[in-house]
Amino acid sequence: MGNDICRNQYARLGQGGKIVATYSIPVGPLHVALEEPMYFRVDIEGETVKGLEISAGHVHRGMESLALQRNYFQNITLTERLCSLCSNSHPCTYCMAVENLAGIDIPERARYLRVMADEIKRLASNLFNVGIMAHTIGFNSLFMHVMEVRELAQDIKEGVYGNRMDLAANCIGGVKYDIDDEIESFLRTQLKELKRPMDELYRTYEKDPLVTARTKGIGILPEKDAIRLGVVGPVARGSGIAYDIRDKAPYSAYDQLSFTVQTETEADVRSRALVRLREAIDAISLMEQCLDRMPKGPTVPDCLPDIPPGQSVARSEAPRGELIYYLKSDGTDRPQRLKWRVPTYMNWEALHIMMNNCKISDIPLIINSIDPCISCTER
Amino acid sequence: MTPTTSDSPFKAILPYRDVIHTTDSNGNHFGWVDLPSPEALQITGKRLAEYGARLCTITAFNKKKFAQDGDMQMVYNFDLDGAVLTVSIPVTPHDRRVPSLVDYFANADWHEREFAELFEIELTGRDAPKRLFLDPKIDTGVFNRLVPLSSMMNGASTKQLWETIFAETSMPDWAKEAK
Repeated sequence: MGNDICRNQYARLGQGGKIVATYSIPVGPLHVALEEPMYFRVDIEGETVKGLEISAGHVHRGMESLALQRNYFQNITLTERLCSLCSNSHPCTYCMAVENLAGIDIPERARYLRVMADEIKRLASNLFNVGIMAHTIGFNSLFMHVMEVRELAQDIKEGVYGNRMDLAANCIGGVKYDIDDEIESFLRTQLKELKRPMDELYRTYEKDPLVTARTKGIGILPEKDAIRLGVVGPVARGSGIAYDIRDKAPYSAYDQLSFTVQTETEADVRSRALVRLREAIDAISLMEQCLDRMPKGPTVPDCLPDIPPGQSVARSEAPRGELIYYLKSDGTDRPQRLKWRVPTYMNWEALHIMMNNCKISDIPLIINSIDPCISCTER
Repeated sequence: MTPTTSDSPFKAILPYRDVIHTTDSNGNHFGWVDLPSPEALQITGKRLAEYGARLCTITAFNKKKFAQDGDMQMVYNFDLDGAVLTVSIPVTPHDRRVPSLVDYFANADWHEREFAELFEIELTGRDAPKRLFLDPKIDTGVFNRLVPLSSMMNGASTKQLWETIFAETSMPDWAKEAK
């Protein structure tokens, strides 16, 4: 590395009287393990990480302030543009907050259609993360293969919603799309095609000696620290915490569907990847269950009430974990306050535990293992 | 949100009689309580922590939208094994101090740093929090200091790793010569 990133270099006596060099190096704000900018100042002793400082603020957009200046319908569009990988979770949870406040019951069919949009995004998001993990450990053929499999999910999004990232699926009171016989046939074919490669991918991540050697025992977050720090999503479940909003506080049609809350107990990079892969496999099953059980009927209510003054809360399980929206209304057509807390926001501090005494070469791997979403964090 | 008279999961936790209990269309439980003053938050936070609650988020807002230096409200959302409890406290323009909850909830740190930075609310019971998003300590031009992709991808850092390998590993002659 160049001198520009090896600052404060000095030497000290380490264990056994060896001279150990100590450095502070910056990781980011632009970095391969980050889809977006975040700055880490890492204190290094020899090859070992001894300290970490995280600095945010590189892409803060003031979106919560923007939300106060847009009406309830415009905010669906705004919240969908918070980030790309979990772009469906935001407008969906926002709509749920508005529906909770106004007492709107969404039609039964819309409940299932919301699950489908959520799960196809989860599948694509989780595959992206484990794909980047393969890239980070230098297993580029696996990375290519994951991205190739992910294309099947991207095709579903493009075929059903007309877009590969922002689905524009949600509206207040229901959904803006429907599935006819032709699309259902396309969906079933695509989902069937996904099953075998997904199983193969899972076995590769579970058994491959290279993947195991590079990810097992790396970036450990013990369960007690996971609880103390309040981490969420696959980061929490990878540390043995069986908490999933879809199970604990079901929304949409999740209470009608069968799935397992995926957990691992090793609490390392590998555990988090395996949880994400199993949840991606579950997503296929959940979409198939929706197709099997979805009743005929409307996808939106006949009319919507005015939004009354008051407050409401809504939560969902985004690909990265619990997403919570708090809405305060003063009775006008624009929120008095709209606040959302994204899953990544709760997971950053866990890096202090995961990266303590890790090797420099593991830094990108560990950061990627929390599946960080910076545009979500900074809003 | 529908008010409900069914057994409240919040009654056993909070001593306040005026915890409003509602459910959503899926039957999920929500509790709502307005505390009279910021001081009451510390007692409530301690009690919730003892019960095993998890802090979800903290929200600050002006009671009069877009007002400056007016009355504010702080809203704390806690998870209680699937139920959400929303605790609100008033913050007046004359006293913009609220107690910190970091002693009870470690994950309160980022939330408190954020609202202290964005809403100029003072926290008591903890050291002055570092700014979260707009840290003035960030070096000038940090965006211009690009770490080359190839460097980080190779895990390249210092020479120590390779020097150790060279010193401790039986290397082929051609490799020793290359050294």
